[in-house]
Amino acid sequence: MKKSISKSLLLLLFGVLITCVVYPLALWAVGQAVFPFQANGSIVKGQDGTPVGSLLIAQPFTKDEYFQPRPSAAAYNGSASSSSALAASNYALRNRVATTLGPIVKYNSGAKAGQPVAPDVESWFQQDRFQGAPSIVLQWADAHNSLAQAWVAADSTHAGYVNDWTKSHASVVAQFVKANPGTPQPQPSDLAVVFFETFSKENPGKFPSAVTHTDSAGKSMTAIEPVGAGTDIQSTFFDMWRTDHADAPLQDLPGDMLTTSGSGLDPHITLQNAEYQLDRVAAKWAADTKRDAPGIRAEIEKLLQDKSFAPFNGLAGEKLINVLEVNLELRNRYGAPS
Amino acid sequence: MFLNTWFLPFALLAVTTLIAFPLSRYLAWIMEGKYRVPRFLSWFEKKLDSGPQNWKQYTAALLIFCTLLFAFGFLVLVLQPWMPLNPDGKWMLAPSTIFHSAISFMTNTNLQHYSGDQHLSNFSQIFFILSNMFLSAAVGFCALTAIIRAFRGEKFVGNFFVDMWRVVVYMFVPASFLIGIIFLQQGVPMTFESFAHVSTLESPATQQTIVVGPVAAVEPIKMLGTNGGGFFGMNSAHPFENPTALSNFFNTMAMMLFPFMLVLMYGRMLGRLRHAVVVFIVMILLMAGTIVWSIYFDTLKPNPGFTGDPVARTYDVPSASAPGGKRTVTVPAVAGLPVDQHLGNLEGKEMRFGTSAGATYAAVTVDVTCGAVNSEHDSLNPIAAISPMVGMWLNCVFGGKGVGMINMLLYVIIGIFVAGMMVGRTPEYLGRKIGAREVKLALLALLIHPIMILGPTGLFAATDWGMKAVSNPGPHGFSQMVYQFSSASANNGSAFDGLGVTYGLANNPSPAPEAIPWDIAAGLVMLFSRFLPIVAPIAMAAYLGAKKSAPFGLGTLRDDGATFGLLLLGTILIIGALLFLPIAALGPLAEHLGPIPFGG
Repeated sequence: MKKSISKSLLLLLFGVLITCVVYPLALWAVGQAVFPFQANGSIVKGQDGTPVGSLLIAQPFTKDEYFQPRPSAAAYNGSASSSSALAASNYALRNRVATTLGPIVKYNSGAKAGQPVAPDVESWFQQDRFQGAPSIVLQWADAHNSLAQAWVAADSTHAGYVNDWTKSHASVVAQFVKANPGTPQPQPSDLAVVFFETFSKENPGKFPSAVTHTDSAGKSMTAIEPVGAGTDIQSTFFDMWRTDHADAPLQDLPGDMLTTSGSGLDPHITLQNAEYQLDRVAAKWAADTKRDAPGIRAEIEKLLQDKSFAPFNGLAGEKLINVLEVNLELRNRYGAPS
Repeated sequence: MFLNTWFLPFALLAVTTLIAFPLSRYLAWIMEGKYRVPRFLSWFEKKLDSGPQNWKQYTAALLIFCTLLFAFGFLVLVLQPWMPLNPDGKWMLAPSTIFHSAISFMTNTNLQHYSGDQHLSNFSQIFFILSNMFLSAAVGFCALTAIIRAFRGEKFVGNFFVDMWRVVVYMFVPASFLIGIIFLQQGVPMTFESFAHVSTLESPATQQTIVVGPVAAVEPIKMLGTNGGGFFGMNSAHPFENPTALSNFFNTMAMMLFPFMLVLMYGRMLGRLRHAVVVFIVMILLMAGTIVWSIYFDTLKPNPGFTGDPVARTYDVPSASAPGGKRTVTVPAVAGLPVDQHLGNLEGKEMRFGTSAGATYAAVTVDVTCGAVNSEHDSLNPIAAISPMVGMWLNCVFGGKGVGMINMLLYVIIGIFVAGMMVGRTPEYLGRKIGAREVKLALLALLIHPIMILGPTGLFAATDWGMKAVSNPGPHGFSQMVYQFSSASANNGSAFDGLGVTYGLANNPSPAPEAIPWDIAAGLVMLFSRFLPIVAPIAMAAYLGAKKSAPFGLGTLRDDGATFGLLLLGTILIIGALLFLPIAALGPLAEHLGPIPFGG
């Protein structure tokens, strides 16, 4: 027994020495001497010599001049990798994809081939009928309580708007308290569903959304107002519009453009995804550099082909491109986006 | 598409098998002690050698060492705030999480209720993670070696401390070093810095802080030792842990390598390679089955969350409160979203590994109870997620380092016993009669696993502990709880990451509300499910090995033929199905049958 304890201590000591000191130091020496670029995180530099990112870690791109990475459940935070962890059966997953799709999806065939569906979503929304019944917003809030609550919690201006609403709708609030004795002093998020129900009846074909006005002095003011068009309508109600128009022929978007990766930091997109973004990217650079659009498009197309690669040369997967690598090349070629 | 999908899993199985056959000879050679080493190495061995141990002394030494390892791990984590290599001054983990993590890594489980990139300093990554990964993986290996020697009828089953030294220094360290260099070349960082700061390309630039560290040191042993605890929160899905398709190939192969070799080493050390090959074939068939299942349902099928279901359905559900005793439930029709899903379910997948790499990895990592993940298992297609669960439930499809083969031996004993009962002959294994005591010990070791999964899952599903931690609605929430305890009990370590089990650092103002019960329950499950299935089989092997060996007779069931293989396969499938089909029906099967989406 005593012997076992002393030998255990010795084994632990030897073990720690070898596995925590000798072994990592040896690998570190090899790494820093032979593979210094990789060993320090594959950091690449811009034209002015400052580090602009790691080739292996996705970073956010929002400008139309750049190819955009896959959406990230980690908000591209390089120090907190994260997946969405959303199950296929979780409506939050479908909702996330549908809200991304709404403003960008296009018709595939028919009279409107190539045109965006967004205007049709808006005009359908203004009719305010879903599945033959009136009040789209009411039905939306009833079916997806958690989304209604999430809207209220998303922004302090949203909560403020609901707060103002409670003041002018004391009777509705009183009724809610009567029905829910467990919450005698309901917070805005508790009232989310009732709020949208009332709102929908009072503002048919409208949804509360941020609107910016410029007053006569040139000062811009943003406030929540009932609106019948805009990105919020296009994204939030695309899924319901789709339910009403299940047979409308729509263009499929690349799957990796709509799904979040395991780490939230996936540095690659499929070539298919990049080709889908190519028109937008090329048009924007053409405008920025005042050059002809087809010429720039051909150049960028060639760049994509040159930089693309496939896992195991295509034996195990389809062609991919590294977003930062390509965007860095675009930046070096065409200068800073305007 | 066919080639894209099936090349990778086939290449993995083939290459690993081809390497395992010759290399298992080296393993047996080392464990038999037939080698000569330079004097400075034999000095260490002599220092550690406490003389021949019988099975009780060997087991006692094993348990004492593991206790010490737990204490050491606990201490390192507690001291994190005051140790070097901690430039942003990370505080210590919550006490319950330290308890959980110290057990988790000491038991080779590597279930993580924290996130490495957010909660551990590089000092903890090296002195807690690395030491545990090498040493705890070696413990299971040594247990198997002791069982082999006991089966051979040896009174003294070796010396635990020398065995540990052999496994760590002559196998794990050199293998890790070689694979570490491959990983380095592919892009895994290896630095003692904690962060790289960059300002992103787009202007106005945002500052991106990227966690780096001694990743290339952790990564090889994480896989080779079937440990699976990631340096980063998202494990092998993180581009720094697994930067390319090639690194993913070696990553997957590394976790399969030792479990494959140990089965063959078992045969070589017993002089019964044919028997071991039969067991190997049974295992590889089961593994291929789980891989094909997850690829078929996850890579070759779209994510059902985006597809349509054109038919509305109405069900009449008996309900005491509704008028007429019946309530009508309507599941509305769902329209498909315009998503091109020809690459399968991409939610939670990384692009660079290849089309079927996520599904393949998901099956392999649970079969060999590694627990590393290169995709988000929570987002697997519902029915595909059965594959990783089955891997954990059976826990013997190659299984973890050493213990997988030990678990398989339990099925062997039970299978032979059942076959013996059926034909009315005394069951024998390795020429020795299996008695009541051996079967009792085997059953004890076997039944602890379902008890440790089903009991706590039931408890948590019935209380706020579980219900407030689940992040997905309906049956999937139940799957999350089942998965967590399956992972703990199988000493696996993968997880459905949405489950709210992370307390974080002790000073975290808003921890997951039920993190503490999860820390404690999962910690205890790992402890029991690790050591009972090690101690009981060693005792069983010692009792069996002590019996007189009888010569082969006409009525002896040959253990190196197809009949035995089928018997073993049948035993595993029947016992596994009896124990776990009900919870599979409540979780992933129910989710698959819909409705999808489930609720709002």
